[in-house]
Amino acid sequence: MPRAVSHIAGWLGLAVLLIALPHALSFSQQEVLVFLTINVLLVASYRLLTLTGEWSLGHVVIMGVGAYASALYSKQLGIYVPVSIILGALTAVLVAMVLSYPLFRMKGFYFLIGSFAAGEIIRLLWKRFRDPFGGPKGIKKINPMPDLDIGVYSFDFFEPVSYYYFALAVVTLSLWVMWRIERSPVGLTFHAVHWQDKLAQSAGVDVRAYRTRAFMIASGFAGLSGALLAHYIGTINPNSFDVELMVFVLTWAIVGGTATFYGPILGCVVLSILNEVVLRELGFEQMRPFIYGLLLICSVLFLPNGLESVVQHIMRRRTNVQAAKASRAGDSARYNVEERTEP
Amino acid sequence: MSGHFLHIDKLVMRFGGLTAVDNLSFVVEQGAIHGLIGPNGAGKTTTFNMISGFYRPTSGTVRLRDGVISGLPMHEVARRGVVRTFQHSTLFAELSVLDNVLVGTHMNFRPGIAAAIFGLDAEDRRGARARAEEALEFFGLLDFTGELAGELSHGHQRALGMAVAMAAQPDVILLDEPFTGMNPEETKRMMELMFKLRDSGITILLVEHDMHAIMGLCDRITVMSFGKLLAEGGPQEIRTHPDVIEAYLGGGRHVA
Amino acid sequence: MVELLAQTCLNALYAASYMSLVAVGLVLIFGVMGVINFAHGELFMLGAYAVVALYADLQLPFLFAVSAGLVFVGVVGLGMERALFRPLRNNPLGGLVASIGFLMILQALAVMGFGVRMEHVPPVTQEVITFSEKVHLAMPRLFVIIAAVILLTALWAFLTKTRFGWALRASAQDPEAAALQGISINQTSRIAMFIGAGLAGVAGALTAPLVSVNPHMGHSVIVTAFIVIIVGGVGSLEGAVVAAVAYSLVHTFVTTFYDGVIADIVGLSLMLLVLIVKPTGLFGTADRA
Repeated sequence: MPRAVSHIAGWLGLAVLLIALPHALSFSQQEVLVFLTINVLLVASYRLLTLTGEWSLGHVVIMGVGAYASALYSKQLGIYVPVSIILGALTAVLVAMVLSYPLFRMKGFYFLIGSFAAGEIIRLLWKRFRDPFGGPKGIKKINPMPDLDIGVYSFDFFEPVSYYYFALAVVTLSLWVMWRIERSPVGLTFHAVHWQDKLAQSAGVDVRAYRTRAFMIASGFAGLSGALLAHYIGTINPNSFDVELMVFVLTWAIVGGTATFYGPILGCVVLSILNEVVLRELGFEQMRPFIYGLLLICSVLFLPNGLESVVQHIMRRRTNVQAAKASRAGDSARYNVEERTEP
Repeated sequence: MSGHFLHIDKLVMRFGGLTAVDNLSFVVEQGAIHGLIGPNGAGKTTTFNMISGFYRPTSGTVRLRDGVISGLPMHEVARRGVVRTFQHSTLFAELSVLDNVLVGTHMNFRPGIAAAIFGLDAEDRRGARARAEEALEFFGLLDFTGELAGELSHGHQRALGMAVAMAAQPDVILLDEPFTGMNPEETKRMMELMFKLRDSGITILLVEHDMHAIMGLCDRITVMSFGKLLAEGGPQEIRTHPDVIEAYLGGGRHVA
Repeated sequence: MVELLAQTCLNALYAASYMSLVAVGLVLIFGVMGVINFAHGELFMLGAYAVVALYADLQLPFLFAVSAGLVFVGVVGLGMERALFRPLRNNPLGGLVASIGFLMILQALAVMGFGVRMEHVPPVTQEVITFSEKVHLAMPRLFVIIAAVILLTALWAFLTKTRFGWALRASAQDPEAAALQGISINQTSRIAMFIGAGLAGVAGALTAPLVSVNPHMGHSVIVTAFIVIIVGGVGSLEGAVVAAVAYSLVHTFVTTFYDGVIADIVGLSLMLLVLIVKPTGLFGTADRA
């Protein structure tokens, strides 16, 4: 029981910290915090996609699909923003479903290039068709979240703090859903498809259907993050979702490591803090692509298992043999409903 | 309506100009251990791959209880009750032993995403776990549940491969060269497991290069040579069949 | 109408010539090292900036600037081979990711060195060959075509007539066999990387006076190069040249009769189609991925 208590205490502590955090920050830091929260969702959804072993280069374009769709639904059709955000995410799922037909005829390197091409086509369509996508200049004056008063707190979504709380709630819920999926038999099947697709097939797993599922779910959450972004910054264009952002996502995921759920999130948070604290303070903001490129190379060369492997190493040294045994028993928690453990 | 259990009917497989399997027909009876043997290059692995759905035959059919299974993708063949194992020790090496077998239970406890999110699949998870543990116990692997499959000994890995197949509760298990690389002691244990599997009601079709290993095992044996059916019968018949002796001993003369 | 067709074909020929150089380099690197160099467009950009620095700013002769661009970018390629691709030889995805990282670094360096503005490189000559009233070819474009033909012929001669060339082609098929000839994988990798990068650099250098040079110009180059090598078959040098010509024709015609963005969309769709129907490319046989 004390383990469970310390667990709950840990999560409560984190919750308090995340709620209190913006009040300790400056206005511009609060804005960065909103972006960070959205990026956490983006990179976590990217990891879900990689569970089946396929690395996409079109993920941020899918994020853009969510952003464009939600922006257009609210602006052109006058749909209430929270609803349009959900519809934006669903649109991303739909686009992913259509793309999955050509893309999942490919594997590995071909999938990588194919997803890149598909993403570029979508970006070019935004650029080409001024109506409704606004062409190269994109969409401006996207409807913001309407103000909301829930008694204990009145949300004014022009304030970064308000939007941060909103995004935090959405992202937390999304992460919980993704966690539940990964620790379920569905998640196990994703892993199975990744490691030995032929063996999985012989156990009756429709490999392509599972790849498609992972792709669609991941795209839905990427679209959600895009919609969150669009209604916060108020203006989007084809270059908001270009290769540079894709490289950032790749860097977060690879620097953090993709073997665990928290790895990419860790990478995203650490690099964003590094970016803010070190680069911006030193006036190096312009160097961001350079630093990211360097980090990407260094982590591929010298830390192939990412920051998460460092965390695991430290944890392992701290825990004793007994705890190691306990974790081994909990290894198959996915099927053990009685002793289910939360992240 | 042939009324046979597993009916391989006039199978042909061509790769370009090469005919790997030529008009092959045989029948596997329910509850049997059936061996498919032949010298290297006889086309037995190709046949195996056509039955399991890995290849689509050029012509001919494979029927299970009169339902055509040839030409279906592998997972569809599996869903109709024919599950294969792979040569060597193809496993999910990075997953735990239990998780390996849990993947095997996929068909009977088809996972659902919504149910998983809202925790409505508790009963299925319990059922799958029970089934998996049953399969592990059957193959004497219960003590290794939490270990990574890749870290098991060679013999245990083979057994785990069969446990994964068994967890799927198939009607037929196809075994691809199960004795390769095994010492006599391991071979003996593996044979015992196969008898046990057959006695639990599962039909076994195995492909094997080494004729002697399966003589004491199979109820019925089909011998292939150069893509064609050479002989068929019980172990005693096959052992003394002149064509079989010719193919195995004098195979060198045929190689052109 | 005939004149418009002729003019469009001439434009396509020009585009095909420098794209061939880029794509052939990419294929060579992929063939020998098994890694897709995502930074290839940025190597093209480096070549262009070499001309900006040496020819436009320092007023050195154009031919010298172009040659310097070839050598300089080739040496950058050697650096990439040593620092990135050699340590990641058994990790093709890692090599690809590392090249994406390198792409970011090169872009950032270009921004720091030259700023984000577009560089204007004065044309080498204003001369234009006039075939008829509506069909003409600017002299600098002809230079690019001639240079491409010479370089590709030289490459062909190198690959078929010299011992290193044989080794290179052998190691694209089977690195072990090449090693048996007494030429190490490191050597073939170095040569492939120098030539591959150098070709991208010289293509960028040659076209610098004809395009707008900026730090982000590599993006459209790499996208086009991907289309060309996928359509041509990732393992085939001849396929890359044929595909470069075919793609340039399609792209130039669509650009002329519709617009450039539609042409890009058509090109990318073509590539997706090839990936779906025949992932080894229309002309290719090798499949190392």
